[in-house]
Order: sequence, then structure tokens, then C-alpha cells
Amino acid sequence: MQKTRSFHRRKILLIFVCCMAALLFLIGRLSFLMIAKSEYYTTLAENLHERERSIKAERGQILDRNGTVLADNRTVCTVSVIHSQITDPEQVIEVLCAELGMDEETVRTRVEKNSSIERIRSNVDKETGDAIRSYGLDGVKVDEDYKRYYPYESMASKVLGFTGADNQGIIGLEVRYDEVLSGTPGTILTLTDARGIELEDTAETRVEPVAGNDLVISMDANIQQYVEQAAYTVLEEKQADSVSIIVMNPQNGEIYAMTNVPEFDLNDPYTLTEFYIETQLSDETDEDAETALSVNALDAVSSMTNEELQDALNKMWRNGCINDTYEPGSTFKIITAAAGLEEGVVTLSDTFYCPGYKLVDDRRIRCHKTAGHGSETFLEAAQNSCNPVFIEVGLRLGVDNYFKYFDQFGLNDKTGIDLPGEAATIMHKKENVGQVELATISFGQSFQITPIQLITTAASIVNGGIRITPHFAVSVLDADGALLEVCQYEEGERILSEETSETMRYLLEQVVDGGSGKNAYIEGYRIGGKTATSETLPRGQGKYISSFVGFAPADDPQVICLCVINNPQGTYYGGTIAAPVVKDIFENILPYLGIEKTLAETETAE
Amino acid sequence: MALGLAAMTAVSSIDYHALKRLAGPAYLLSLVLSGAVLLFGDAYNGSRRWLSIGPLSFQPAEYAKPAVILLLASVAGGKTRSPDAGAHDGRIFGNTRSRSLTVSVFLAVLPIVALVGKNNLSTAVIILGIAMIMIFVSNPKYLPFLWMILAGVGFLAVFLSLESYRLERLAVWRHPELYEKGYQTLQGLYAIGSGGLFGLGLGNGIQKLGFVPEAQNDMIFSVICEELGLFGAAILILLFLLLLWRFMVIATHAPDLFGSLIAAGIMGHIAIQVILNIAVVTNTIPNTGITLPFVSYGGTSMLFLLSEMGLALSVSRGSTIRP
Repeated sequence: MQKTRSFHRRKILLIFVCCMAALLFLIGRLSFLMIAKSEYYTTLAENLHERERSIKAERGQILDRNGTVLADNRTVCTVSVIHSQITDPEQVIEVLCAELGMDEETVRTRVEKNSSIERIRSNVDKETGDAIRSYGLDGVKVDEDYKRYYPYESMASKVLGFTGADNQGIIGLEVRYDEVLSGTPGTILTLTDARGIELEDTAETRVEPVAGNDLVISMDANIQQYVEQAAYTVLEEKQADSVSIIVMNPQNGEIYAMTNVPEFDLNDPYTLTEFYIETQLSDETDEDAETALSVNALDAVSSMTNEELQDALNKMWRNGCINDTYEPGSTFKIITAAAGLEEGVVTLSDTFYCPGYKLVDDRRIRCHKTAGHGSETFLEAAQNSCNPVFIEVGLRLGVDNYFKYFDQFGLNDKTGIDLPGEAATIMHKKENVGQVELATISFGQSFQITPIQLITTAASIVNGGIRITPHFAVSVLDADGALLEVCQYEEGERILSEETSETMRYLLEQVVDGGSGKNAYIEGYRIGGKTATSETLPRGQGKYISSFVGFAPADDPQVICLCVINNPQGTYYGGTIAAPVVKDIFENILPYLGIEKTLAETETAE
Repeated sequence: MALGLAAMTAVSSIDYHALKRLAGPAYLLSLVLSGAVLLFGDAYNGSRRWLSIGPLSFQPAEYAKPAVILLLASVAGGKTRSPDAGAHDGRIFGNTRSRSLTVSVFLAVLPIVALVGKNNLSTAVIILGIAMIMIFVSNPKYLPFLWMILAGVGFLAVFLSLESYRLERLAVWRHPELYEKGYQTLQGLYAIGSGGLFGLGLGNGIQKLGFVPEAQNDMIFSVICEELGLFGAAILILLFLLLLWRFMVIATHAPDLFGSLIAAGIMGHIAIQVILNIAVVTNTIPNTGITLPFVSYGGTSMLFLLSEMGLALSVSRGSTIRP
């Protein structure tokens, strides 16, 4: 047997020393990686492991001028089961059936389904969610979430707007003031394995969400409700396509109410109301098909293509007061009168003769009273809403002057209302306007403006002559209700002299006080206003728009109201159907707003 | 594991001299098994390395390592009777006998290297490494081995440059983040880097959850780094060093050259695997699949490593029995 020799031992030692050197070198290398480059690799590794989950921020409320909540959040729960964590399936099924009021079979299939997580029901009330949570059942998960909730349901739906699944505003004030309301979502950073499954028991980094701010708007829920009620009444009575009403403070542009009936349910904005289903159908089908289809409106909805459905929804969500333009008709005589008086081409006592028509160039433009009003003063002509007289005033002004005032009154610009999608005025190009066009413009035809533009211009003419910016937003409050910001609106320009404004108030009071607007007369109140009836384009279809704009008190306007009835059936004169609506509204809201009757003066007026 | 411990106890209790006679047959058996695996082996992860015997599956390559150690120890340490007591002329001895011995040992080892290397290159390299170390120990000379190392490096350079995919491996090694194939290396580095000084704590590692491929095998060390930090990793390395030191002590105190060579071979085996594994994981050398002894998952490997431990213990006992 061979002995181990010394060189063997030396060599073994040498190998060992080499190994030791190599291992020590590796420890050095490790130290380099784990100390010097630790941060670098840790960051890379964390980026790889972290999943960001966002936490919804609570959206701010929308409050009316009295602090009534118009748009709120409701905590809703989603109840789910995690199959692998369930220890007592029978008890889980029993509890869920009892608390959620679901039938056993449905719950059982979901509970027994072998999936990672199975949703039992979403949009569960918080109370129910808490109750289920209190059982402490293994494998049952109750997640809380915020859902936008509108306590008044359909009230002011087109003004308030609604939000989408990600809490973002879709239409109306919700989208216009999204930045104010939305807040900042928080995040939860969690660690996950390579398949993206969250690891339990790892510390999570949480960035708390910041709740959105509350928005106080000038709307008054009581006035809005009353106005909507009035609008629905006339909508049904006159079988109209739609009714738009705006109630505004003519001094500062604060809007008290704005409605376009039919409204829709803000808590369920993606369901077409029956009214719009019919509208959509009548738009695209002939009479026979319409009757057949309207038998089952719901079937009709399901038969719509996505595009058609979206069209119908857009139509339903549309705020006619600002998104749509119309020919204002005789209410626009307010503008012609103001321009004529301001320019000095006419006075209230100037006398005119109306034979029932007016010849402009080679055109014979008729008055609505074909027999003619005969001899009348300008004041009387306004009371009679006499077309030939206003044509004469328009012609006296001339194209240049008329366009000057049109622009000066702000009719070429948008009103700047704080709602999305305001439509612009559709007006002739100045170089294309001849005598005939000027004549038609003078009594409010052949061009289009939005209802909000008309009421804003009218308000600016009667409020002393200062252009106002119509708006809803008044102030912004933080989540605790402390005032953050008072919304500022540009100081309006003077568009009319005080004197002319005062004359206009008198003129329009006379229209109500014994003129075509007499149906808006309320005993004890001084009310000014102007009626309008215009035939929609194309003419000759018998479709009309009836409207009335009124304000009170006539000597110091505190509230102005425009009512536009689209395509009424039967009587369609603005003075007959729109003026009573405004009267009804004024009768109720004037006392509510603390505007007192001035009996003595009305008595003398009579 | 239990089987391994039993094997270790069993092997440690027998006199290692008894194995001398078995060295030849054992080596032949490893040749047969390695041959068989090429023909009948089960493929797993794309490599045909497993041989099924009934319900047991088994990696012949792992068995080949101790077989080679035994063979070389018996060839180099026992063939020549050495009656002379020290006064012999070492130079002549070295020149004549050792050269033929070196050659014959190489010839003996080459078949198994070839067979194993057919589909498991890294194990073949380890076997070759073990053989190198054992021959180096048994041979009194130094210079030829230096030449051999230089020749080996030169051969490696030529070998790598011959095929572009081998160079790609080098490129991946330099910049693992740039290549898809660097994924495993990079994930290992993430794990190591995020460990820091004291690690995330045992069981808290995240990289093992599907991020690091082969986390329980070749890349286990990266997980250890992540969970136990530099501190734990260094302790593990020092434990291996302690183990190697013990092998060295056993080898230098063995009663005869056979035992000494066995211990040296085992030391070489474990040292090579530990060093290469950690070097790979820390991206010190290009990636190659080598497991970390005693830590990586693998039944066959564990069984034979523990058997080798038993063998070393047996040698150790032989040395203590003697005065």
C-alpha cells in the first residue's frame, strides 16, 4: 500500500488554497452585488414585483344654492367568494342566500364553481355588505366601492350629467367640473409573483386617495322641480316634442333652473326612456312600421344596432338649451327694438301703418295678422308683435348698424356658460345680407341662436345694459365643507345705455300688460316679456316653436324665464301656450324668491 | 434524503479499502449506465439524463462522479507496490511511473467523459476537473499541469470561437439585460441584489415565485442571497470552505495514498461544483447548469454526495484508527 508523500500533502493544500481563494473572491463578488449594486437591483426587482392598484377617490358632491345635495356618492359593495378559501360551503350558501335574497341554486353554482374568485353580486347596499362581513365567513370577500348617486334621479339630468365607470364625468357639469369633483385617486402597491398574483402578508405601500371638492351651483332644487313639473305638464298637454325652460337671475347670470323635458334618470343613464325610443323609431321608419314597432318598444331597443343606440342615447342626453339652435322668432324683436331705440331710429311714440304685409324690394313679407294692424305707435306695434313695423325699424338701422348691434349685444359669441357643447350662432355673412334678409332677421327669422343665447341677451338688455355670463358654478368647497374658491365670472361689458334698457323694460312690461304677452300677467306683479311663434325649417310642415321670455319685476328684474315649446300640437301661439307656463312658474317662484307684489302700481297700470 | 443518509452511514462504516477492488467494476457500471441513458433515458427539460428503474429514476452522471473518484484513487494510489521507505529517488520515480500513470488515467477517464459529455457537458467538465485534480495530486510535478491549464484555456478559446452560439453565450454573460437568454441570469441578479446585507428573511423571497427559472436547482443560491442576504450567503460559503478544509485534513492525514486521493477527489468535486455554481449565479462566468452541492434539489445528486461524504468519513476513520 502506497503511502501519502509530502508532495501529495502540499498539492492537496495547494488545491485547497486555490479553492479558498476562489470562494473568497466569490464572497467579494457577492458583496459587490449585494452592497454596491444592491439599490440598483432592488429597484429593478421591485419594479418587476409591484402591481399598482388604484383606489378610487371619493368624488365631490354637487350642491344646489341652498346646500341640497344633487349628486352624491353611495358606498356599494361587491360580494365575491374565493373558492380555495371557503371552509364551510353550506354555511356560505345559506348566509348569502338569506342576506342577498338570491335563490339557492344560483348561489350554489357560484360558490361551488372552482375559480380563483367568483362574483356573487355587485352593487350591494353597504348595510347588507356589512352584515355579510360580520359573519366572518372564510372565503367570502366584500369589497367597497363608490358609486355616483343622484337623489333626485332625473332632475336636471342634462345639466348635472353623470359619470362613467372610472368616476369620470360624461356629460353636463360632471364633465365640465371634472377636475374639481374628481379628486386624486390613491394607489396600493402590492407585491406579486411572476404570474401577477398578489402575495399575502407582504407590506403594501398605500397612497391614500384625495377626495374631490364639492361644487355649489346656482340651481335651486325647489325651483328646478317646479319648473320641470310645469314643463312636463305643457309637454303632455300640447303633445310637444320637447320643452325647454331656463330660469335665470338677469343681474348676475346665475341660473336657477334649466330643464329640457323629457329628462332621463341619472342613476340609469344608459337606458333609453320610452319617449326617446319612440323618437328614434319615428325618425327612421315610416308610419306603418312605427305602429308595428311601438307595440313592443323594448324589442325595438334590442333590435337597434350599437350605433343607433348610441345615437338615441346622445339625443336623450342632449341639453337643448345650449346644444341646439333655433330660429328665435318674435322674441328677437327685443334685440331689434333695443338696437333701434339705442341708435335713435325709432321712439316709442313713432307711429307706423301696418297693412298686413310689408314690401321689401320685390318681396311681400306678411304680418302674422293678415288683415293688418292699421295705424299704431311703436309701443303698440311691440304689444302686437307686428312684423312690418319691426322690419321697418330693421331697415332704418341698415345692415351695418344691425350687424354692429348684433355683435355688440354678444350674439356672435357664445355665452360662455359653464356647460360643455354650447352651440354657436348661425348667422348670415354680412356681405350676403340684402334688404330681404335684413327684414327677416329683424323679426327673428332666417338665422339661429341657442335658447341660452336668447335669454342671456334679453337679460342683458333689461338688466341695465350689462352683458352677463350665464353660469351654474358658484363656489367650490373642500371635503370638509370649507370654502375653497368663489367662482369668478368676467365683468360684463356695457352693451346698451341705462336709458334704453329702462325704455326696453317699460316696452316689454306693456307687452305683458295688455299686449300679446298678457297671458303671463300676474296680478300684483310687474312683469315684462315677449312672445314668439316661429315655424321650423323646412317651412310648410306645420311644425312650430312657441316661446315666451318674461322677467319680473319689470322695473328691477330679479328673475328672467324663457320657455320654448318644440312642435306643440293644436294651438301653437307662444302667447297662448308658452306665456301661461312662465306665468305659472312666476306665480310660484316669485314669492319663493322673496319678491313682493307691488299692488299699488299694478292697480294704476290697469 | 433518508436513502442518502443511510448510504452515508453504510459507506462510512465499511473500510474504504474494500472498495478498491470494486473500483474497476463500479467504473464499468457507470460506463454501462451512461451508455444506457443515451439509449433508454427519459428526457426531462429537454435533456436525456434520467434512467428509470421501476419507480425510481436516477441520473447516471451523478453516479459517474464517485465512480471516477474511486477508480482514479485506486489506479493512482494502489497499483504500484511501494516498498521503499522514503529514500527512493523521487525524480526518477516521478519521471517514469507517473507519466505512464497520467496517460493511463486519462485513457481510463476519457470514455466516461465522452459518454456523459454527450448530453451533459457541464457534468463532463466536472468529471474532467476531478480527474485533473486527482492526477495533479498524485503527480509530484507542477510544470506540466501549468502547461495543461494554458492548453486548456487555448482550447477553450478555439472551442468558443468555432461556433457563434457559444460566443453569444459570452455576450449574454457580459450584458444579460440585453438578451432574452440572459433572463435567468438577470433574474438571479435581481434576487441577489435585492437581498442586501441581511436579506428579506427566510421564506420571504419573491424572485423564487416564478421569476427565477430553476429556483430550486441551479439558481438556488440567488434565492438564498435574496432571503438571507450577504450575511447568510457568506456563512454558507464559509461552511463549504469549512467542509473543504475538513476534506483537506482528511486527505493529508489519510493512512495511505488511496484514501488520501479519495478525499482529495471528493474535495475537488465539491469545490468545483460550489465554485462554478456560485460563479454562474453571480454572473462571474457564463451561464452553465451546475447544481450547488447539498442545497440544490435533486435526489440522485444528494444520494451520491452523501455517499461521498460517507467515503470521506471512512477514510477519516481509517486515519484515526491508526496511531
